[in-house]
Amino acid sequence: MKINPQSFFNFCAGHAALLRGLAEHDGEIAEAEGFRLIRAHPSPGEELPETVWRRLRELQILLPTEPGGEFHLLAEPVARLLSYLFNDAKPATPELIRGYVLSLENTSHRLGRALAEEDVAQVRLAFEETAQTLRRIHADLEETQQAILAEVARFKTERARVSVREKYRRIVYWMERYVEPMIEIVRADGPLRAALDETARRLRQAGEETLFTDHPALVRNLRFLRLLAAHALRVFLQCRKEIQPLYESLRRSSFIAEGAARALEQLQTEGLSRWPAECRIGVATLRFQNVPGDEAIALALRRVIEHPPEPAPVLQFSAEPSDPDALRRLAWLESLPEAARAGLPIKDLLGWLLREHPDTAMPEALTALSRLIFHRDFHAVFTEEAARVYPLRDAQLESAPVRLSAHE
Amino acid sequence: MNDLPHLAAIFDRLKRGCHLGPEDEPAYTALRERYDDYARYFAAIGLRLARHEREFFYFEPENPESVPDTLPRIAVFSYILIDYAANQGGSIEEYLFGQNFLLPALPHFGLDRYTALLRQVEVHDLGDLRTLLKHMERIGWVKSLGEDEFRLLRPFHRVLSQCLRLSETGQTAEAAPAPAPPTE
Repeated sequence: MKINPQSFFNFCAGHAALLRGLAEHDGEIAEAEGFRLIRAHPSPGEELPETVWRRLRELQILLPTEPGGEFHLLAEPVARLLSYLFNDAKPATPELIRGYVLSLENTSHRLGRALAEEDVAQVRLAFEETAQTLRRIHADLEETQQAILAEVARFKTERARVSVREKYRRIVYWMERYVEPMIEIVRADGPLRAALDETARRLRQAGEETLFTDHPALVRNLRFLRLLAAHALRVFLQCRKEIQPLYESLRRSSFIAEGAARALEQLQTEGLSRWPAECRIGVATLRFQNVPGDEAIALALRRVIEHPPEPAPVLQFSAEPSDPDALRRLAWLESLPEAARAGLPIKDLLGWLLREHPDTAMPEALTALSRLIFHRDFHAVFTEEAARVYPLRDAQLESAPVRLSAHE
Repeated sequence: MNDLPHLAAIFDRLKRGCHLGPEDEPAYTALRERYDDYARYFAAIGLRLARHEREFFYFEPENPESVPDTLPRIAVFSYILIDYAANQGGSIEEYLFGQNFLLPALPHFGLDRYTALLRQVEVHDLGDLRTLLKHMERIGWVKSLGEDEFRLLRPFHRVLSQCLRLSETGQTAEAAPAPAPPTE
C-alpha cells in the first residue's frame, strides 16, 4: 500500500518520542507492549492509544511478523531513518562489505560482457548498479565508523559498574568482529581495493570502447571509486587508532585482574600452607644479626680472655650409693611377716617389733603393726594384761600387749 | 666505585627490603643516574639491585620460598584491592594510583569472601590492616597521609607485575595440551 509522505511525516512529527521508544525496543512488539510504549510516550494532542496503534500500522511504521499476527516489527526503512535521525549508527559487518565486494565483482563481469557485446543498455544498467553499490558501501562505512566511535565514547564515559574483564571482552569483540576484519578487506592489497580497481578498469574501457556517451556518469563513478578506496582504509585505520589505546589499557587491566583473581582463588582453594610461592611477593631482608661485626667479635674475644678459670665439671658415672628411702621402707615392711612367722607365737607384738627395730618412729611402728595384725596368715588378739608403755624414737605408745599367732 | 653518593643510606634502606622510588630523594636520583655502578658494587657482595620497568629500585630477594609472615598478608591485601578495582570497571592503575585511600573505606571487610581470605593470613580487623599498612610503608609501597589515610606509591607496581606474570602462567598452563592418560 502506498503511503502518503505528508501523512507519514505529520504523524512522525507528533510522535517523535514514541518512534524513538520503538526504535530502541529490541525484537518483536506485541500489542500489549505497543500500548505500553504509546502510554509511556504520549503525544501532544489527545489521541486515544487505540488511534495511535492503528495509525502506526496504517502508515506501515509497524509491520506484522505474519499476516493477521499479534506481533509486529519496526519497518526496516523506518528503522534506518530513525537510526540516521537519532545518530544511532549500526556497524556494517565484514560479511556485508564482502557481499558488496562480490556484488561489485559480478557487476564488473557483466559490464565486461556488455562491453564485448556492445550492449549499451546493459552497460548503462551496470553503471547504475555500480554507482548504487558504491553509495551503499560509502554509507555503510560511514555508519560503521560512527558506531565504533560511539562505542569508544560509551566505554570512556560509562558509569555503570561493569568489570574490567567484561569491558575487555567487549572491546576485543569490537576489534575482532569489526575493526580488524574490515582492515583486512579494505587495505591496499585487500579484496575491496581489487574489486574497485577492476571496476575502474571496466568503466574506463566503457568510456573508450563503446557507444556509451554518458561521460558525466562515467566521471562520477570513477571519482567515487577513487574516493572510496582511500576513504575506506582511512576510516578503519582511524577506528583502530581510536580503539587501540582503549584496547591496550583494558587488556593490561584485564590481565592484572586475572592474575590477582587467580592468586586469590588458589588461596581460597589450597589454603595458605599450599599457596604457591609465585603468588607471594618476595622482599629482600638481610638478617645481619647472624653475621658478627668487628665490635661483636672484639667483645666476644674480650669475654673469653677475661673469663676467670674454673674447674671443669666432673660427671658422676657410678650407680647411686643407696636405695631411696621409700623403697627401703617398703622392703622393710615386706620383710616383717617373714620375720614374725619365725618367732610365732609372739606374746607382745609391739614389744617384739621394738626389740627387732629399736629406732622405729611412730608412723613406721603403726604401719608395721597394722600390716602384721591384718595379714592373712596371722591371727592377732589384744590381751587383757595391764597396759604397757612402748618408747618409740619420736613418741611413746601405751597399749595392752597384742598376741600374734598363726591362723589355724 | 667508592665515590658512589649516598651509598650507606641507600644500602641501609635497601637491605631492609625498602623500595626506592621518586619519593626517596636524593637516593632515587643517585640510583637512576648511576644504576650500573651501584648494581656492580652490590653484585660484588652478592646482592642483586633490581631496576623495575616503572623506574624504582630494590634488592631482589635471595630465596622467594622463605618469605616472612608479613609478605603473604601484603600480597593478599594487594590482590583484594586489585580484584575490587577490576570490578569498578575503570583502569586498575588509575584506581590504585589516582586517589588517596581511607582505611575504614577499604573494601577488604566489605565482602565475606575477602574477609575469609584475610582471615587465612591472620588479618581480622582494621587494627591488623593498620599494622599491615605500616609494614607496607616501611618497604616503600605506601605513603601514610594521616592516621587512616594513605596512598599507594610507585613500587606497588611490583604487585601488578606479579599479577601479569600469574595471568601469563595461567594462560600458558591452560593452553598446554592435557597430559595423556596413563597407559597400563
